Amino acid sequence: MSEQTLFEKYGGFSKISRVVLAFYDTLLDSDDIGPFFDDIDMSRMVDHQTKFMASLLGGPASYSDNQLRQLHSHLPIEHSHFDELKVVLGETLEDHGFDTEDIGAVLQEFENRRKLIVD
Amino acid sequence: MSIEAINEQLLRAIGVGVALLDVKSFSFHFHNDTFEEWFGAPEEGAKLNDVLTELDIDALRTGLRENRRYTAETRFKKKRRTMVVAVDFTPTLEGEQEIAVLVCQNITRIRELESMIDSYSMMVERNNREIKREKEQVEKLLLNIMPRAVYEEFKTFGVVTPQLYDPVSVLMLDFVGFTDMVASADPSVTVTELNDIYSAFDRIGEQFGCERIKTIGDAYITVAGLPDPTPDHAKAAANAAIRFIRYLERRNSSHPNQWRCRIGLATGAVVGSVVGIQKYVYDIFGPAVNLASRLQEFSEPMQISVQDDMAVVLREQFELDSLGKRQIRGFDEQEVWRLHDSSRIMSQAGS
Repeated sequence: MSEQTLFEKYGGFSKISRVVLAFYDTLLDSDDIGPFFDDIDMSRMVDHQTKFMASLLGGPASYSDNQLRQLHSHLPIEHSHFDELKVVLGETLEDHGFDTEDIGAVLQEFENRRKLIVD
Repeated sequence: MSIEAINEQLLRAIGVGVALLDVKSFSFHFHNDTFEEWFGAPEEGAKLNDVLTELDIDALRTGLRENRRYTAETRFKKKRRTMVVAVDFTPTLEGEQEIAVLVCQNITRIRELESMIDSYSMMVERNNREIKREKEQVEKLLLNIMPRAVYEEFKTFGVVTPQLYDPVSVLMLDFVGFTDMVASADPSVTVTELNDIYSAFDRIGEQFGCERIKTIGDAYITVAGLPDPTPDHAKAAANAAIRFIRYLERRNSSHPNQWRCRIGLATGAVVGSVVGIQKYVYDIFGPAVNLASRLQEFSEPMQISVQDDMAVVLREQFELDSLGKRQIRGFDEQEVWRLHDSSRIMSQAGS
């Protein structure tokens, strides 16, 4: 039997969908990161956040390193943006009852992709 | 507080956007707080289209005239968030004056959730397709090592009961000088060619209803009459044997590497089963297997040796010569026959 993913541990899509929407709301409200989404269509934005969470938590999506690099290559993302998103992500997971240890693991996964996202 | 005052306060504070409009000019008479929160306060003398820029005013007029109602969905950006609002217009009379009542529901969350479900279900569907593909790969691999009927049993019960197949015909083929070939030529070329030849044998065998059981190095074993019994299993195996040799002869005429084989054919009972737990092998056991293997040793290169019992069945359709009585290790002394390619004999007779 394969190990349980965080996606499964925290209740699968029905629970994770709430994390996604909370994260989505926070991103849109943030004046640091929000502007990146000014011209993004709602359904595309939701699509990205859904896949983002599923990828990080071991759900049914995964972006290859190349895809991540391509998707972000045209955006002027700085380290400060990446740091901010990391904080928001950690807080969102905490709000939804994730264990400290699990949050640490997710943030580490996120951190591992920094060089693909920040130019 | 009077009923009117309560009503007005309710109307202002309710979580639904409400506005009253002049039915001809669509200028605002009234809007509540929620409406203002979403669309901003309409300026003095502002028209509906100044606020809800995406709304189709002509469709609204037609709807009100013909159906006395008009509903639509409008999208706009509030800060950077796409808001989706369902609007509903109904005309009513206020004293002498005809006005349109506009009720707006915020359905942004519903649309966001729908987008998320779309996105998620697409991921899941893609995953399912991948899993299905992988499952097919596994199935294909297992079908390479066991007959389909056995695989079905294995899939359903997790085990395969050894089964007796009686009678079947076993074809055992072995290449002449294979060891020397591997030693003298480039081994990878030899193995690649061997693979081509085995693949051709598989196709030929399939045409005649033979099931390839296994290959051990340069030995190739195929069986007719298994897993489904066939009355003409002996003829099927003989036909396959003749075609194997024809195929090799044709191949040798245009290839530098010459492949020559010996074939033995025997009829009898075999037991077929999956052997092993971690590394499954489907294999057959029984006197027919051993006999075919011994008979193969009696063959000259590119010739087919046939067991006596089987020769009796084949005689009506195939050309056979007796090799006389032979001692066979592990079996009684018995007559051994040589099977000829009768089409060749006919063509030689004709020429």
